[in-house]
Amino acid sequence: MIRGLVALTTANVRTFSRDRAALFWTIAFPLIFILMFGFIFQGGGTGSLAIGWADDDGSEASTGLRAAFAAVPSVELEDGTKTDVLDAMKAGEVSAAIIVPAGYGAAAAVATGGTGAPATIEVYTDPAQQTTQGRVYAIVGSVVGVVNLGGRPPIVVPDPQTLATEDIDFISYFVPSVLAMALMQLGVFAAIPLVADREKLILKRLAATPLRRSQLVGSNVIMRLIIAAAQTVIIIGVGVLVFSVEIIGSLALAALFVVLGAMTFIALGYVIASFTVTEDAANGATSVIQFPLMFLSGIFFPIQFMPDFLQAIARAMPLTYLADALRQTMVGGVAFAPLWFDFAFLAVCLAIFFGISSRFFRWQ
Amino acid sequence: MAATSGVSTAIRVADLRKSYGDVRAVDGVSFDVGSGEVFGLLGPNGAGKTTTVEMLEGLRKPDGGSLEVLGIDPVRDADALKQRIGVALQTAALYPRLTVVEIIDLFRSFYKTTLPTQQLVESFGLDERKGAQSRELSGGQRQRLAVALALVNDPELVFLDEPTTGLDPAARRALWDVVRDLRDKGKTVLLTTHYMDEAEVLCDRIAIMDHGRILEFGTVEELITKHFHERAVHLDHNDALGAEDLGSLPAVHSVAGDADEVVLYTSDVPATIAGLLALAEARGTEAANLGIRRASLEDVFLALTGRALRD
Repeated sequence: MIRGLVALTTANVRTFSRDRAALFWTIAFPLIFILMFGFIFQGGGTGSLAIGWADDDGSEASTGLRAAFAAVPSVELEDGTKTDVLDAMKAGEVSAAIIVPAGYGAAAAVATGGTGAPATIEVYTDPAQQTTQGRVYAIVGSVVGVVNLGGRPPIVVPDPQTLATEDIDFISYFVPSVLAMALMQLGVFAAIPLVADREKLILKRLAATPLRRSQLVGSNVIMRLIIAAAQTVIIIGVGVLVFSVEIIGSLALAALFVVLGAMTFIALGYVIASFTVTEDAANGATSVIQFPLMFLSGIFFPIQFMPDFLQAIARAMPLTYLADALRQTMVGGVAFAPLWFDFAFLAVCLAIFFGISSRFFRWQ
Repeated sequence: MAATSGVSTAIRVADLRKSYGDVRAVDGVSFDVGSGEVFGLLGPNGAGKTTTVEMLEGLRKPDGGSLEVLGIDPVRDADALKQRIGVALQTAALYPRLTVVEIIDLFRSFYKTTLPTQQLVESFGLDERKGAQSRELSGGQRQRLAVALALVNDPELVFLDEPTTGLDPAARRALWDVVRDLRDKGKTVLLTTHYMDEAEVLCDRIAIMDHGRILEFGTVEELITKHFHERAVHLDHNDALGAEDLGSLPAVHSVAGDADEVVLYTSDVPATIAGLLALAEARGTEAANLGIRRASLEDVFLALTGRALRD
């Protein structure tokens, strides 16, 4: 009977919305996370800026120009060939690249004499990262401005180039991560009311009505998916509106992963409920499980930065793949695994958790 | 007095068995409950009452024996049965953050036929508390709500498992009125209790249960007259007054008792008391808390199990 399912789902949503602890952990906590870390790191201007430097000219003038850039306090130059630095930029190792083309020194000398066109330098930035782009242009502008003081018309002009990279800024990395974390908590926390209802004999009382177990589980899952949708809208909304995170991917694909991720972790919540008897024990077990998931899954910093043994652990964590999939489908960036693999890994976890809980979950 | 003959049978139980590990929780129980009867399962905690009831409700599968509830096998066709029965568990199992009306409406959504919410709220004295969340209710209000939930589908048969345990006297009386009202409406009620007075007041027939077995059943009067034509003389247990000595006092038919109290069943109260006082004096002790009463259900239980049925 659909009526029982709807009524029980409504009851679950009401219960959830009247539980301040549940509301805090699923809605307020992730928001605080985003706002806090977002504002800390958003400043951007304070961090150093790595710029790739390729000098194809090798003249005295180009060496001087390099020295001028290197003198800018927040700039770190990484030298290499043009191919090297552009590759480095694509991979996110440097935020921008400046190429001094062959013949720069000669052109600059001619320009200083007041004849001929000004010398050019190629400045590569990623238009997807507007903050970085703005900083690079400001730095290039000030350095070139100093060089140009001596002459008019200008001696050197920048030649802006764009290069799409896989590098994304911190907040763009962070927003899908927090969404993944929130979905994980939402799912894992499903264990607590479930165990509490069993402990209070509510599950047994429901078993004495014509309500089916599938309706009971269904209403719990639907309620959590409704909350998951709310979390997604709120978290992405704050990311876009407050921190100008650009959603470049497919929202439909992202929604698919939101649902799959929520289901996987709800199933994990049922696994926890299968092996805990009291509400207190369920509370403890969710904490014990969620914190390693949170901190070993590379949701706050790229997995490549972890020591090897932690990387191995991260590779086994379902949250790693949910965060990776949400990042890829929403903001782009360096993929940890192909999207199909993320999907498959989460689906397999869901199947395993479902299998374990249907085998071991006790209704009474 | 209700009788099962000539009236259709609501519950038929034969040789019902259920074990948990080595513990035989229900060990060959048989009884019938007639339609419209208020039937009491009386026994101490751990007697197997709840396990028996939960098998009748379709919540537990029996290990053996046969069961028929409203003509339905609870094991094979629990769904059909659950539409027609109402259940109140030992503890009021209520969603703490839902209001009285929300909980009633939730349970109504599970059934095909239902009573109106407002009618239930009013007849259980919950009208003033209908907007309160269940966690804010008193013990008596919670229990009344639990019984109201057992009636949302206007069931033919209602199971009440220890409905008054833990309630204050006023709340108990209020629930007794609810049960009487159910009987007046012709509902069949199976209630479990470990209160003698409750069983005596409410139940048409009683089964006394202990250690997973039914020791005796019948009407309250039948049980008492079957076991006692006598009056009961009771006094505090006293090591100086042994059971054998007491049993040989004038007119005493039998002696029962436990560590607290001794009961002498006698056909001649004055002769027995005179003998008792003389014996006590000879032993240099006294018969403390001496009293006389008509034999009650309590005495039946004591005689059958060798221990008193107290909290």
